[in-house]
Amino acid sequence: MGIPVSSAPNGGPVVTTAAREAYRAPRSRYALQTAAIALGLVAVLAVALVGIQIGTSDATLQQVLGTFWAKLTASPPDNHAARQIQTIIWELRVPRIALAILGGSTLAIAGSLFQAVLRNPLVSPYTLGIAPAAAFGASLAIVVFGATAGGAVVSLVFGALALAALNTVLVLVIAAKRNLGPTTLILVGIALSQLFGGLTACIQYFAQDEALAAIVRWTWGSVNNALWYQVLVLLGLLALTFPFLQFRSSALNAIAFAGDDAATSLGVPVARVRLELIAIAAALTAVTIAFTGIIGFVGLVAPHIARLVVGSNHRFLIVFSGITGALVLLVADAVGRLVIAPGVIPVGIIDALVGAPLFLYLVIARQKANE
Amino acid sequence: MTLRIDSLFVGYGAKTVLNAVTLRASKGELIGLLGSNGSGKSTLIKTIAGINRPSSGTISWNGATNLARLSRRDLAKIVSYVPQNIGQAFALDIREAVLLGRTPHFGTCPGEADWAHVERAIRLLELDELGNRDVTKLSGGQGQRVLIARALAQNAEVLLLDEPTSALDIRYQWQTLSVVRQITRQNDIAGIIAIHDLNQAARFTDRVVFLHEGQVVADGPAADVYSPELIHRVYGVDVELSTYKGYVQVHPGEAHDPPAHAATRDASSVAA
Repeated sequence: MGIPVSSAPNGGPVVTTAAREAYRAPRSRYALQTAAIALGLVAVLAVALVGIQIGTSDATLQQVLGTFWAKLTASPPDNHAARQIQTIIWELRVPRIALAILGGSTLAIAGSLFQAVLRNPLVSPYTLGIAPAAAFGASLAIVVFGATAGGAVVSLVFGALALAALNTVLVLVIAAKRNLGPTTLILVGIALSQLFGGLTACIQYFAQDEALAAIVRWTWGSVNNALWYQVLVLLGLLALTFPFLQFRSSALNAIAFAGDDAATSLGVPVARVRLELIAIAAALTAVTIAFTGIIGFVGLVAPHIARLVVGSNHRFLIVFSGITGALVLLVADAVGRLVIAPGVIPVGIIDALVGAPLFLYLVIARQKANE
Repeated sequence: MTLRIDSLFVGYGAKTVLNAVTLRASKGELIGLLGSNGSGKSTLIKTIAGINRPSSGTISWNGATNLARLSRRDLAKIVSYVPQNIGQAFALDIREAVLLGRTPHFGTCPGEADWAHVERAIRLLELDELGNRDVTKLSGGQGQRVLIARALAQNAEVLLLDEPTSALDIRYQWQTLSVVRQITRQNDIAGIIAIHDLNQAARFTDRVVFLHEGQVVADGPAADVYSPELIHRVYGVDVELSTYKGYVQVHPGEAHDPPAHAATRDASSVAA
């Protein structure tokens, strides 16, 4: 497409010669962002390969790659030891690492979406009350169906998911009916958080010790019990929603940076886009924490770290937030498995302990750079 | 080409905010929209921009196009809007901020033509001297220039500005108004600017339109329509008018003199 010099509706020389020369700039304009995304993906792959090797029975890189090759070619293992290590890698390590990657991505992407549509950098995926609602659902499941029985895991996932969905539907219905702005939506979220927090506290108060311990453990958030189906569900969800998020990225930019009125005047159907993106962000959050429990911090901070690297344009920020979230959880999970090995500290605890100092460093470094 | 607004009614619930507003704005013309707080200036501007929906009446451009029937995106290719302030929550560099003006023109990736419009708007508003600074680090006047550049990059034929100078100091007020006047003339854009300062409206706009309780009560060049009676009716204040270098100027009437000053004036008039 050329520059519409003659077709300019205003008449006159709409595009000057100088502007024509500035033409070439866009090709390299986003070189940094593109490079950061490529490097980020390589880093995720590299850290994941290291992460898979860590554990009570250490696996070598060769064994890891061998397992992948064996699964790819459907070739059976040579001996019992090989079968054992392949089972450990394929049934325990890979789902765990994959869940860390996907869970970190979905929470970080949800965080960047919530921050943009609510136009508030302090917002996290949990601001609208999804986490307390999921915690209440999980607590109910633990108390009603028992904490450790085989079927309990499924009921736990469904309990958390159902309540998180209920919370989201409540927020969306209230938002749609009243055409609410960002601040009111956040206040609605705070009210719902308090409500579900109170309900969970009630359950905890009356719960037996064992159930109470299970509830508290769930709220720490971990990828310890990762299963393949969880990985596949999250992968499917991301694959389904990500293209739409990229498609909406320019509308999201307008809402986040220009405000509702100006975004409307820029041709963006603000209320619809806001509801769509809240629904997607809530779904990503709800499904993830139904599998992992409440992993805090990453959803709030990964978008900020990503913004420091690739800038605020959501065309790059959404995907790079996902990469950052994946890296944060991968590193946190690796650290959690190393510090008190063979014991494992839940990733939800470590990500705050590892991520907070890193984030502080980035914020201070940026502040210094601006001075 | 003319923006024609005919018998426009806009209401919030039972309250009528705009009452049978009729207005014309031709290309290359800058209109000052005047009126007290709550007179309907912002509502009129937001209705033309498609942010508010009218209850009845028509807004058309170029004779045929009924703007209220257009999709948001198509409307945004004709009408651009500059809000009062930038209200920026996230760091964003100037070029990305101006690029937002191209939102109605591209899908996901801006093309070369989009960037050409951005560069042109940046040059016109003299923002290139600021490099690619973060908009949250700009002064009020610079931030306002970014918003106007964004509207200009939109390449629309109608430019609406909702009190763009209200938060600026006098230097940036004058700078903003000069820029707006210059770009509407040079680019054949029909401009409507809501403004509080009557003297600046007289100086920088081609025509003024007074809104009072949702109705147009005066429309014409400032020198023709400004009168103590009209201004008293609209703002409830007594004024005196003078002419300076051909521009009509509004001054507070005697009733607004501070007591000490009034006493001096009385004394001097007695002495005379």
